[in-house]
Amino acid sequence: MKCRRCREPAVIELRRHNAAFCRPCFLHHCTEQVRRAIDEHDMIRAGERVLVAVSGGKDSLALWDLLLDLGYDADGLYLGLGIGGYSDRSAVAAREFAAGRGARLVEIDIPGEFGFGIPDGAAAARRVPCSACGLSKRHLFNRAALDGGYDVVATGHNLDDEAAVLLGNVLRWATDYLGRQAPVLEEGGGFARKVKPLCRLGEREMAAYCVLRGIDYIVEECPMAEGNKHLGYKAALNAVEETSPGTKAAFYSGFLDRGLPHFRAEVAEEKAGLGRCASCGAPTSGETCAFCRLVDLATRPAR
Amino acid sequence: MAGPIRVRALLEKLELQRESVLVIKGDTLVTDDSLLEDGADVEVRPVISGGSGA
Repeated sequence: MKCRRCREPAVIELRRHNAAFCRPCFLHHCTEQVRRAIDEHDMIRAGERVLVAVSGGKDSLALWDLLLDLGYDADGLYLGLGIGGYSDRSAVAAREFAAGRGARLVEIDIPGEFGFGIPDGAAAARRVPCSACGLSKRHLFNRAALDGGYDVVATGHNLDDEAAVLLGNVLRWATDYLGRQAPVLEEGGGFARKVKPLCRLGEREMAAYCVLRGIDYIVEECPMAEGNKHLGYKAALNAVEETSPGTKAAFYSGFLDRGLPHFRAEVAEEKAGLGRCASCGAPTSGETCAFCRLVDLATRPAR
Repeated sequence: MAGPIRVRALLEKLELQRESVLVIKGDTLVTDDSLLEDGADVEVRPVISGGSGA
Protein backbone atom coordinates (compact mmCIF):
# COMPACT_ATOMS: atom_id res chain seq x y z
CA MET A 1 0.00 0.00 0.00
CA LYS A 2 1.34 3.44 -0.98
CA CYS A 3 1.01 6.78 0.73
CA ARG A 4 -1.66 8.93 -0.92
CA ARG A 5 0.47 12.08 -0.69
CA CYS A 6 4.00 10.97 -1.56
CA ARG A 7 3.69 7.37 -2.90
CA GLU A 8 6.20 6.04 -0.35
CA PRO A 9 5.23 2.78 1.46
CA ALA A 10 2.31 3.44 3.82
CA VAL A 11 2.22 2.55 7.53
CA ILE A 12 -1.50 3.11 8.10
CA GLU A 13 -4.66 2.95 6.03
CA LEU A 14 -7.64 5.15 6.85
CA ARG A 15 -10.63 3.52 5.24
CA ARG A 16 -12.84 6.47 6.15
CA HIS A 17 -10.72 8.68 3.88
CA ASN A 18 -10.11 5.91 1.35
CA ALA A 19 -6.42 6.68 1.88
CA ALA A 20 -3.16 5.39 3.31
CA PHE A 21 -0.23 7.41 4.62
CA CYS A 22 3.48 7.01 5.37
CA ARG A 23 4.70 8.18 8.78
CA PRO A 24 5.50 11.85 7.92
CA CYS A 25 2.34 12.30 5.85
CA PHE A 26 0.17 10.71 8.56
CA LEU A 27 1.60 13.06 11.21
CA HIS A 28 0.94 15.95 8.80
CA HIS A 29 -2.64 14.67 8.34
CA CYS A 30 -3.21 14.68 12.14
CA THR A 31 -1.79 18.18 12.52
CA GLU A 32 -3.93 19.49 9.67
CA GLN A 33 -7.11 17.90 11.06
CA VAL A 34 -6.51 19.57 14.43
CA ARG A 35 -5.66 22.91 12.81
CA ARG A 36 -8.83 22.66 10.73
CA ALA A 37 -11.03 21.82 13.73
CA ILE A 38 -9.61 24.75 15.68
CA ASP A 39 -10.10 27.19 12.79
CA GLU A 40 -13.50 25.87 11.71
CA HIS A 41 -14.98 26.17 15.19
CA ASP A 42 -12.94 29.17 16.38
CA MET A 43 -11.72 27.10 19.34
CA ILE A 44 -8.57 28.96 20.38
CA ARG A 45 -7.82 32.60 19.61
CA ALA A 46 -4.46 34.34 19.30
CA GLY A 47 -2.62 34.76 22.58
CA GLU A 48 -4.98 32.60 24.62
CA ARG A 49 -3.75 30.24 27.34
CA VAL A 50 -4.88 26.63 27.06
CA LEU A 51 -5.25 24.05 29.81
CA VAL A 52 -5.17 20.52 28.38
CA ALA A 53 -7.01 17.86 30.39
CA VAL A 54 -4.40 15.11 30.55
CA SER A 55 -5.15 11.54 31.63
CA GLY A 56 -1.94 9.84 30.49
CA GLY A 57 -3.90 8.10 27.72
CA LYS A 58 -3.34 8.34 23.96
CA ASP A 59 -5.87 11.05 23.19
CA SER A 60 -4.88 13.61 25.77
CA LEU A 61 -1.13 13.16 25.27
CA ALA A 62 -1.51 13.33 21.48
CA LEU A 63 -3.65 16.44 21.84
CA TRP A 64 -1.11 18.14 24.08
CA ASP A 65 1.70 17.21 21.69
CA LEU A 66 -0.21 18.55 18.68
CA LEU A 67 -1.16 21.82 20.39
CA LEU A 68 2.45 22.42 21.46
CA ASP A 69 3.64 21.73 17.92
CA LEU A 70 1.06 24.15 16.56
CA GLY A 71 2.59 26.80 18.83
CA TYR A 72 -0.15 27.13 21.45
CA ASP A 73 0.61 28.16 25.02
CA ALA A 74 -0.66 24.87 26.48
CA ASP A 75 -0.17 23.54 30.01
CA GLY A 76 -1.48 20.14 31.14
CA LEU A 77 -3.74 19.32 34.08
CA TYR A 78 -3.66 15.80 35.51
CA LEU A 79 -6.26 14.65 38.04
CA GLY A 80 -5.34 11.84 40.42
CA LEU A 81 -8.54 9.80 40.58
CA GLY A 82 -7.54 7.35 43.29
CA ILE A 83 -7.99 4.26 41.09
CA GLY A 84 -5.10 2.28 42.56
CA GLY A 85 -2.21 1.23 40.35
CA TYR A 86 -4.00 2.48 37.23
CA SER A 87 -3.89 6.05 38.55
CA ASP A 88 -0.24 5.64 39.55
CA ARG A 89 0.75 4.44 36.09
CA SER A 90 -1.26 7.07 34.23
CA ALA A 91 0.33 9.81 36.38
CA VAL A 92 3.78 8.52 35.41
CA ALA A 93 2.84 8.64 31.69
CA ALA A 94 1.61 12.23 32.05
CA ARG A 95 4.69 13.35 34.00
CA GLU A 96 7.13 11.68 31.64
CA PHE A 97 5.48 13.26 28.62
CA ALA A 98 5.58 16.71 30.25
CA ALA A 99 9.23 16.30 31.22
CA GLY A 100 10.15 15.10 27.73
CA ARG A 101 8.46 18.07 26.06
CA GLY A 102 9.54 20.59 28.71
CA ALA A 103 5.87 21.42 29.29
CA ARG A 104 4.15 22.41 32.54
CA LEU A 105 1.92 19.83 34.20
CA VAL A 106 -0.44 20.92 36.98
CA GLU A 107 -1.63 18.09 39.23
CA ILE A 108 -4.66 17.78 41.49
CA ASP A 109 -4.95 14.65 43.60
CA ILE A 110 -8.61 14.02 44.44
CA PRO A 111 -7.95 11.65 47.39
CA GLY A 112 -5.31 14.04 48.78
CA GLU A 113 -7.39 17.20 48.37
CA PHE A 114 -10.93 15.96 48.89
CA GLY A 115 -10.52 12.80 50.93
CA PHE A 116 -11.95 10.15 48.60
CA GLY A 117 -11.12 8.19 45.47
CA ILE A 118 -13.49 7.83 42.51
CA PRO A 119 -14.44 4.16 43.23
CA ASP A 120 -15.46 4.93 46.83
CA GLY A 121 -17.05 8.24 45.89
CA ALA A 122 -19.15 6.58 43.21
CA ALA A 123 -20.31 3.88 45.64
CA ALA A 124 -21.20 6.43 48.32
CA ALA A 125 -23.16 8.55 45.83
CA ARG A 126 -24.74 5.48 44.20
CA ARG A 127 -23.46 6.54 40.82
CA VAL A 128 -21.65 4.44 38.24
CA PRO A 129 -17.91 5.17 38.46
CA CYS A 130 -17.73 6.84 35.01
CA SER A 131 -20.47 9.26 36.05
CA ALA A 132 -18.73 10.26 39.31
CA CYS A 133 -15.46 10.52 37.41
CA GLY A 134 -16.93 12.64 34.61
CA LEU A 135 -18.61 15.11 36.90
CA SER A 136 -15.45 15.46 39.01
CA LYS A 137 -13.36 16.09 35.91
CA ARG A 138 -15.76 18.69 34.49
CA HIS A 139 -15.89 20.53 37.80
CA LEU A 140 -12.17 20.44 38.60
CA PHE A 141 -10.96 21.23 35.08
CA ASN A 142 -13.26 24.23 34.96
CA ARG A 143 -12.23 25.46 38.39
CA ALA A 144 -8.52 24.99 37.65
CA ALA A 145 -8.88 26.91 34.39
CA LEU A 146 -10.67 29.84 36.02
CA ASP A 147 -8.32 29.93 39.03
CA GLY A 148 -5.22 29.61 36.85
CA GLY A 149 -6.19 32.33 34.37
CA TYR A 150 -6.60 29.98 31.41
CA ASP A 151 -8.95 30.96 28.59
CA VAL A 152 -9.68 27.48 27.29
CA VAL A 153 -9.93 23.90 28.56
CA ALA A 154 -9.03 21.44 25.78
CA THR A 155 -10.09 17.81 26.13
CA GLY A 156 -9.00 14.78 24.11
CA HIS A 157 -12.46 13.67 22.99
CA ASN A 158 -12.01 12.17 19.54
CA LEU A 159 -14.43 11.43 16.71
CA ASP A 160 -15.23 7.96 18.08
CA ASP A 161 -15.99 9.38 21.54
CA GLU A 162 -18.26 12.03 20.06
CA ALA A 163 -20.05 9.61 17.73
CA ALA A 164 -20.58 7.11 20.59
CA VAL A 165 -21.96 9.80 22.93
CA LEU A 166 -24.17 11.06 20.10
CA LEU A 167 -25.54 7.57 19.49
CA GLY A 168 -26.31 7.19 23.21
CA ASN A 169 -28.01 10.59 23.34
CA VAL A 170 -30.06 9.90 20.21
CA LEU A 171 -31.14 6.47 21.43
CA ARG A 172 -32.56 8.13 24.55
CA TRP A 173 -33.51 11.40 22.78
CA ALA A 174 -31.67 13.25 25.55
CA THR A 175 -32.33 16.68 24.04
CA ASP A 176 -30.52 18.58 26.82
CA TYR A 177 -27.34 16.55 26.25
CA LEU A 178 -27.73 16.83 22.47
CA GLY A 179 -27.78 20.61 22.79
CA ARG A 180 -24.49 20.55 24.69
CA GLN A 181 -22.70 18.15 22.35
CA ALA A 182 -20.75 20.76 20.44
CA PRO A 183 -17.00 20.87 19.71
CA VAL A 184 -16.93 24.25 21.48
CA LEU A 185 -18.82 25.29 24.58
CA GLU A 186 -18.41 29.03 24.95
CA GLU A 187 -17.19 30.69 28.13
CA GLY A 188 -19.44 32.71 30.42
CA GLY A 189 -21.57 32.37 33.55
CA GLY A 190 -18.77 30.74 35.55
CA PHE A 191 -17.55 28.43 32.78
CA ALA A 192 -14.26 28.54 30.90
CA ARG A 193 -14.49 27.83 27.16
CA LYS A 194 -14.29 24.09 26.51
CA VAL A 195 -12.99 22.73 23.21
CA LYS A 196 -12.46 19.35 21.54
CA PRO A 197 -9.74 19.78 18.89
CA LEU A 198 -9.57 16.02 18.12
CA CYS A 199 -13.19 15.86 16.92
CA ARG A 200 -12.06 15.24 13.32
CA LEU A 201 -9.71 12.35 14.24
CA GLY A 202 -10.64 8.78 15.14
CA GLU A 203 -9.50 6.77 18.10
CA ARG A 204 -7.30 4.53 15.96
CA GLU A 205 -5.63 7.59 14.47
CA MET A 206 -4.74 8.91 17.92
CA ALA A 207 -3.19 5.61 19.01
CA ALA A 208 -1.27 5.49 15.72
CA TYR A 209 -0.10 9.08 16.23
CA CYS A 210 1.33 8.17 19.65
CA VAL A 211 3.07 5.04 18.36
CA LEU A 212 4.61 6.92 15.42
CA ARG A 213 5.64 9.89 17.59
CA GLY A 214 7.10 7.58 20.27
CA ILE A 215 4.67 8.87 22.93
CA ASP A 216 4.54 6.38 25.78
CA TYR A 217 0.88 6.49 26.80
CA ILE A 218 -0.98 4.22 29.23
CA VAL A 219 -2.38 1.45 27.01
CA GLU A 220 -4.43 -0.36 29.65
CA GLU A 221 -8.09 0.53 29.95
CA CYS A 222 -9.40 2.13 33.15
CA PRO A 223 -10.60 -0.81 35.28
CA MET A 224 -13.74 1.16 36.17
CA ALA A 225 -14.82 1.47 32.51
CA GLU A 226 -15.22 -2.23 31.81
CA GLY A 227 -18.63 -3.07 30.36
CA ASN A 228 -19.90 0.51 30.30
CA LYS A 229 -22.48 1.69 27.77
CA HIS A 230 -20.03 3.94 25.96
CA LEU A 231 -17.89 0.93 24.96
CA GLY A 232 -21.00 -0.86 23.68
CA TYR A 233 -21.92 2.12 21.48
CA LYS A 234 -18.38 2.23 20.09
CA ALA A 235 -18.47 -1.47 19.22
CA ALA A 236 -21.84 -1.01 17.49
CA LEU A 237 -20.56 1.93 15.44
CA ASN A 238 -17.37 0.08 14.53
CA ALA A 239 -19.45 -2.87 13.31
CA VAL A 240 -21.23 -0.47 10.93
CA GLU A 241 -17.92 1.17 9.99
CA GLU A 242 -16.50 -2.23 9.02
CA THR A 243 -18.88 -2.48 6.06
CA SER A 244 -19.54 1.25 5.50
CA PRO A 245 -16.37 3.24 6.17
CA GLY A 246 -17.09 6.90 6.87
CA THR A 247 -20.46 6.32 8.56
CA LYS A 248 -19.23 7.50 11.97
CA ALA A 249 -17.81 10.74 10.59
CA ALA A 250 -20.97 11.38 8.53
CA PHE A 251 -23.16 10.70 11.59
CA TYR A 252 -21.24 13.21 13.72
CA SER A 253 -20.65 15.92 11.11
CA GLY A 254 -24.26 15.64 9.94
CA PHE A 255 -25.39 16.18 13.52
CA LEU A 256 -23.22 19.30 13.87
CA ASP A 257 -24.55 20.75 10.62
CA ARG A 258 -28.19 19.73 10.71
CA GLY A 259 -29.07 18.43 14.18
CA LEU A 260 -27.32 20.51 16.83
CA PRO A 261 -28.93 23.88 15.90
CA HIS A 262 -32.35 22.42 16.82
CA PHE A 263 -31.29 21.60 20.37
CA ARG A 264 -29.22 24.66 21.31
CA ALA A 265 -32.04 26.93 22.47
CA GLU A 266 -32.98 24.59 25.32
CA VAL A 267 -29.40 24.63 26.58
CA ALA A 268 -29.03 28.43 26.35
CA GLU A 269 -32.19 28.77 28.44
CA GLU A 270 -30.88 26.28 30.99
CA LYS A 271 -27.51 28.05 31.25
CA ALA A 272 -29.17 31.43 31.78
CA GLY A 273 -31.15 30.00 34.68
CA LEU A 274 -28.14 28.64 36.61
CA GLY A 275 -27.37 29.89 40.09
CA ARG A 276 -24.19 29.48 42.15
CA CYS A 277 -23.24 26.64 44.47
CA ALA A 278 -23.63 27.72 48.11
CA SER A 279 -20.49 25.83 48.98
CA CYS A 280 -17.96 26.52 46.18
CA GLY A 281 -19.56 29.15 43.91
CA ALA A 282 -19.62 26.94 40.80
CA PRO A 283 -22.60 27.27 38.41
CA THR A 284 -25.41 24.91 39.37
CA SER A 285 -29.12 24.39 38.98
CA GLY A 286 -29.43 23.32 42.64
CA GLU A 287 -28.39 24.82 45.95
CA THR A 288 -25.05 22.99 45.89
CA CYS A 289 -23.27 21.69 42.81
CA ALA A 290 -23.02 18.00 41.90
CA PHE A 291 -19.33 17.87 42.83
CA CYS A 292 -19.86 19.33 46.32
CA ARG A 293 -22.71 16.85 46.85
CA LEU A 294 -20.39 14.03 45.77
CA VAL A 295 -17.66 15.20 48.19
CA ASP A 296 -20.21 15.42 50.97
CA LEU A 297 -21.54 11.90 50.39
CA ALA A 298 -18.10 10.40 49.88
CA THR A 299 -16.58 11.87 53.03
CA ARG A 300 -19.59 11.57 55.35
CA PRO A 301 -18.61 9.43 58.38
CA ALA A 302 -20.16 5.94 58.27
CA ARG A 303 -23.03 5.51 60.72
CA MET B 1 -0.41 -18.42 14.55
CA ALA B 2 1.35 -19.80 11.50
CA GLY B 3 2.52 -17.47 8.75
CA PRO B 4 2.88 -16.12 6.24
CA ILE B 5 -0.42 -14.31 6.70
CA ARG B 6 -1.78 -10.91 5.67
CA VAL B 7 -2.68 -8.50 8.49
CA ARG B 8 -6.28 -8.37 7.34
CA ALA B 9 -6.57 -12.18 7.46
CA LEU B 10 -4.90 -12.24 10.87
CA LEU B 11 -7.48 -9.81 12.27
CA GLU B 12 -10.31 -11.82 10.72
CA LYS B 13 -8.98 -14.99 12.35
CA LEU B 14 -8.77 -13.19 15.67
CA GLU B 15 -12.33 -11.86 15.08
CA LEU B 16 -11.19 -8.29 15.64
CA GLN B 17 -12.72 -5.18 14.05
CA ARG B 18 -10.10 -3.34 12.00
CA GLU B 19 -11.18 -0.03 13.53
CA SER B 20 -10.51 -1.31 17.02
CA VAL B 21 -6.82 -2.26 16.80
CA LEU B 22 -3.40 -1.29 15.50
CA VAL B 23 -0.87 -3.84 14.36
CA ILE B 24 2.61 -2.79 15.50
CA LYS B 25 5.86 -4.25 14.25
CA GLY B 26 8.96 -2.88 15.96
CA ASP B 27 8.52 0.89 16.26
CA THR B 28 6.16 1.24 13.32
CA LEU B 29 2.75 0.16 12.09
CA VAL B 30 1.76 -2.23 9.36
CA THR B 31 -1.14 -1.85 6.95
CA ASP B 32 -3.98 -4.28 6.26
CA ASP B 33 -2.34 -5.72 3.16
CA SER B 34 1.11 -6.35 4.75
CA LEU B 35 2.33 -9.91 4.70
CA LEU B 36 3.59 -11.19 8.05
CA GLU B 37 6.23 -13.90 7.76
CA ASP B 38 6.09 -17.03 9.87
CA GLY B 39 7.64 -16.14 13.25
CA ALA B 40 7.14 -12.38 12.80
CA ASP B 41 6.84 -10.59 16.13
CA VAL B 42 3.87 -8.21 16.08
CA GLU B 43 1.69 -6.56 18.70
CA VAL B 44 -2.05 -6.28 18.11
CA ARG B 45 -2.93 -3.30 20.30
CA PRO B 46 -6.52 -2.37 21.18
CA VAL B 47 -7.27 1.31 20.66
CA ILE B 48 -10.77 1.62 22.10
CA SER B 49 -11.13 3.33 25.43
CA GLY B 50 -14.27 3.97 27.41
CA GLY B 51 -14.95 5.93 30.54
CA SER B 52 -15.73 9.57 31.04
CA GLY B 53 -13.04 11.08 28.79
CA ALA B 54 -10.11 13.18 29.93
